[in-house]
Amino acid sequence: MATITAALSVTSDVTEYGIGISKTMTMTKAGTNTGLEKATGLVRKTLTSINEVDLLTVGSGTVTDVTSTVTAANKLYIKNINTDSSEYFTVGLGKASTGSAKENFDMADSNERSVELGRLYSGDFMIIPWSATATNYNDVFVKPSVATSMVIEYMVFYEE
Amino acid sequence: MATTTASLTITSADLVGDALSLSSSSNLNKAGTTTGLDQTTGMAHVYLTATTSIDLFPILPASPAGQNKQSWVYICNKATDETHYVTITIANTIIGQLYAGDFLWMPWSQIAQYADIELAPSTAAAAAGIRVEYTCFHEGLTLPTSADS
Repeated sequence: MATITAALSVTSDVTEYGIGISKTMTMTKAGTNTGLEKATGLVRKTLTSINEVDLLTVGSGTVTDVTSTVTAANKLYIKNINTDSSEYFTVGLGKASTGSAKENFDMADSNERSVELGRLYSGDFMIIPWSATATNYNDVFVKPSVATSMVIEYMVFYEE
Repeated sequence: MATTTASLTITSADLVGDALSLSSSSNLNKAGTTTGLDQTTGMAHVYLTATTSIDLFPILPASPAGQNKQSWVYICNKATDETHYVTITIANTIIGQLYAGDFLWMPWSQIAQYADIELAPSTAAAAAGIRVEYTCFHEGLTLPTSADS
């Protein structure tokens, strides 16, 4: 078993009294104190079109052996490492359109569900739990805002 | 202009052959700018005793105030029992489970109605009671219209 920790710190003067977050989590298997043992490694991708593409496809590629039960405790880290403040990646869950148009936001379609989570602008990062339950539901897609070279890095920590 | 800085460090001495250490830091800015986000919901702390799925932030209308703007969400499961978890959902799609001590940090697109971020305690967590903390830094969020007027 491995010990993997993620420490988040947020400092803000957005209110007169400020807001601070300082939180460390140890990544463990679902419902246990046993650490996660698997990781994809830090993946770096350069995207040169505005096509919406899968970054992670449940059950294939770098995450072929990821546990895909709904209660799994997988963790996903993604970072936009570009420097232009106006350029961003749209990150979402579900089926990627594979084209320049976004897949329709359609939570009723059981086969092609697609939902946008948020946008990572230059330097932004995110860390979320990832259920990886089913292809086309929990695939992770990204869509660059521009067709010039944009670089994204990501890593999955997961249960097997 | 406010300055909000988020930093994340992921480390492990024994996951792979060499020590792993990833460090990231960024300022939270308004969409496409270098101007800092200037609004927040404040840090909320709730105690939940039912498995009912709840919206953490005001229900998004058809055209949210935060549409095409930037928002950041933090959610932390404050439970100490490792079997107690909460399920985080957006638009009827499960993002994942936060077990005791877990947190998430993610951008949030208030793109449209139904893109609300929802949370549901597990059965065991609800039975025991579970504490959750959450906040949102943003540049626009539609608040509910008063029903008293």
